[in-house]
Amino acid sequence: MNITKTLDAKGLACPMPIVKTKKAIDAIKSGEVLEVVVTDKGALNDIPAWAKSGGHTVLEQKTEEDVLYFYIQKA
Amino acid sequence: MSNKVAIIAANGGLFDAYKVFNIATAAAASEKEVQIFFTFDGLNLIHKQAMHALEMPAGKEHLTEGFEKANVPTIPQLVEMAQELGVKFIACQMTMDVMGLTKEDFVDGIEVGGAVTFLEYAKDASPTLTF
Repeated sequence: MNITKTLDAKGLACPMPIVKTKKAIDAIKSGEVLEVVVTDKGALNDIPAWAKSGGHTVLEQKTEEDVLYFYIQKA
Repeated sequence: MSNKVAIIAANGGLFDAYKVFNIATAAAASEKEVQIFFTFDGLNLIHKQAMHALEMPAGKEHLTEGFEKANVPTIPQLVEMAQELGVKFIACQMTMDVMGLTKEDFVDGIEVGGAVTFLEYAKDASPTLTF
């Protein structure tokens, strides 16, 4: 997987991870992949729901020691 | 499916402010058009001075530490972010008149309107939320 951009949103609380993810995705092109790294557990459901609202695809997500990683392909 | 979210902010405490602005910024970040109608104590939320000193509900003061620990953004930060994301703020003219407030008492970029302004916007919004 080719990651175009990484957003480090660790330590931020709702709604900041979503707001920052939105800004980061605005800065990449259609088809490119954004890596989002967060610690807010609300993001576990929020990021996929947000991606759905914009038609983006979550290619992969994983959790490593309380840190969540999402790989979002821009629509 | 409607792409509009309509919010009425009618209360002026710190918890009320978080409910309003978290939902508003999350919706705006999800490509929704968002308008908030501020009325009665809700006007505190966009008042230049009051927004910096919103009160916790009585008996909940001990949560100040929790807010800091959770790294929750401040209300002025959320207000700025909401506006940056295109959320439109409407202050209720009638309440402003009752309270002796003018447009200059509020953050820049707000509009002033009456109930009909909000109703016209909200008629095809989904959801419409009241806090």
